[in-house]
Amino acid sequence: MNGPELWFLNRATGVVLLVLMTLSVVLGILSARSRVGRGTPGFVRGVVHRNVAVLSMTMLTVHVVSAVVDTYVDIRWWDAFVPWGGLYQPVWLGLGALALDLTVAIAITSALRTRMPRALWRVIHLASYPAWAIAMVHGLGIGTDRAAGWSLVVTGLCIAAVVVAGTVRVGGAVVRAVRA
Amino acid sequence: MSVLVEEGPRLLAHLDEGPQLVHHRRRHPAPADMTLDRLAAAAEAADLRGRGGAGFPFATKLRTAARRRAVVVVNLSEGEPASHKDEALGQLRPHLVLDGAVLAAMALGTRQVHLVLPGETPAVGERIGAALAERGSSDRVSWQVHTAAAGFVSGQARAVIELMSGRPNLPVTAWVPEAVSGYRGRPTLLSNAETFAQLASIWAHGPDPATMLITRAGDTDRPRVLEVVLGGRWDAVLSPAELARPVLLGGYHGVWVPAGALANRRIAGEDLAGLGATLGAGVVLPLPEGSCPVHETVRIVDYLAGQSAGRCGPCRLGLPALARALDDIDRGVGSGALVDDLAATVRGRGACAHPDGTARLVVSLRRWFGDELALHQRQECGHGVLAAAG
Amino acid sequence: MASSRLRVDWPSCEGRGLCHELLPELISLDRWGFPVIAGEVPEELLPAARRTVAGCPRLALRLV
Repeated sequence: MNGPELWFLNRATGVVLLVLMTLSVVLGILSARSRVGRGTPGFVRGVVHRNVAVLSMTMLTVHVVSAVVDTYVDIRWWDAFVPWGGLYQPVWLGLGALALDLTVAIAITSALRTRMPRALWRVIHLASYPAWAIAMVHGLGIGTDRAAGWSLVVTGLCIAAVVVAGTVRVGGAVVRAVRA
Repeated sequence: MSVLVEEGPRLLAHLDEGPQLVHHRRRHPAPADMTLDRLAAAAEAADLRGRGGAGFPFATKLRTAARRRAVVVVNLSEGEPASHKDEALGQLRPHLVLDGAVLAAMALGTRQVHLVLPGETPAVGERIGAALAERGSSDRVSWQVHTAAAGFVSGQARAVIELMSGRPNLPVTAWVPEAVSGYRGRPTLLSNAETFAQLASIWAHGPDPATMLITRAGDTDRPRVLEVVLGGRWDAVLSPAELARPVLLGGYHGVWVPAGALANRRIAGEDLAGLGATLGAGVVLPLPEGSCPVHETVRIVDYLAGQSAGRCGPCRLGLPALARALDDIDRGVGSGALVDDLAATVRGRGACAHPDGTARLVVSLRRWFGDELALHQRQECGHGVLAAAG
Repeated sequence: MASSRLRVDWPSCEGRGLCHELLPELISLDRWGFPVIAGEVPEELLPAARRTVAGCPRLALRLV
């Protein structure tokens, strides 16, 4: 199959994925704060975090399928999982595959969360930070829109969101520890 | 040793003979020919209960742990600061304790025996080390020694298992009893040092008379360890003057009994049950002359609050709050209702029984010394002991 | 039918209170935000109890 529609689909899902994954990471960071009764109930935040993550997985599937099916560039289906040996932009593609692998590991362990040791689940879940960062680098490297103004704005906002959320959480913990 | 040890009828018999193996073997044959049924039967005939404080029937624990790859753990760590009986046994009768452990290991078909020594009393470790050297490999058991951290909760069963596993010596949640799944998931027979000593003594000399080690502090300046016959009278432990005062029974996790309550009772669980008390870890603390039970309890609860492992919210936050609430009452500014509320809040809401034991002590104070507490709330004291006001 | 109880793994619990949000019929919070479990889980609340166990961010709740 060929045609600009697949290409647009791939690029569009790529951008949306960046935003969704940022949102998921931010929700995950902020879920550790705050007690009952203040603002959104904890379980609601947990459910939204999970739903955003699941939506990202759907988007990721479309992103990968549209790339593989498109015959304009030679991306084989296993290039989505194996970070080396790609034919089209192997370095940036490989980073995308790596981000996908980490994300799939996180997704599977999260589905099995109550059936595995919490420490193991947590270690794998922490991989969401590198997964997000690697995905962003993949987008910047392989994306053909990277120089466009809107693309830079979106990327900048995503990075800012994660940094701010992280600061709030770490700062809150520091304040609590100092006060204790 | 920091404590005086008196001669007794079984465990503390013939103290003039030293702790060496040669003396011990003259009176106690080396463990041999032991099976699970034989040992369990002997423990049942003697109604042997754990001496670590909980008083759990030993035979039941033994049978529960009798599965593949069991492990025996001897707890000499004696976390209770007012108790010195394990120290006494470790120093004076180490081979009795070790014999008991070997008997249990034989009955369970295991060679793994772990000894947990008290961190605060290195002399016990030295004596045990010497005793192990004397025995050499004659027991066909693999001895492993661990040293508990100083602190009240270090001797708790799961905390001990954590220590053995190379993790911090603090309690964790037990989803099943350690006799079912403990050290590395294996059936773990973990008991107090005195329990093993009693086991060895019962096997060698039969169940009668049933005895117990008591640690008492009182009007003499050093604590004393003595061995009493269960069912005997309390004047074997306490002077008439002390019997006429309130007594803290069991340890810091024990309970108060009111003045004179022990005078006509025997040293037996049944007699004490009516007072809401048990023998616990065998600690008997008569109220010091000129002191006040409210004041003593405040001091003890403050200590217990400081001993929280800090792992469980209700204990970490509740015990200091309880200590403060009691202190407020002591100084005449507090509320009994708050104390009751906090005591009820912390019970059963921790990985170990530290909050429960503390709450029990406080509840017993409220139960028996309502008058004293009322006096304190009017800024008076029946014993003439007033904390600084304000 | 075997009865079921909710038990808290206290060293893991941080008092976030999601269990109370999800199962207020059985779980209330003490003055510090830690859960107080009121009795055993009746059969009609078992599905909700399982969701509550899964909903704890610290996995500090177990159905036993």
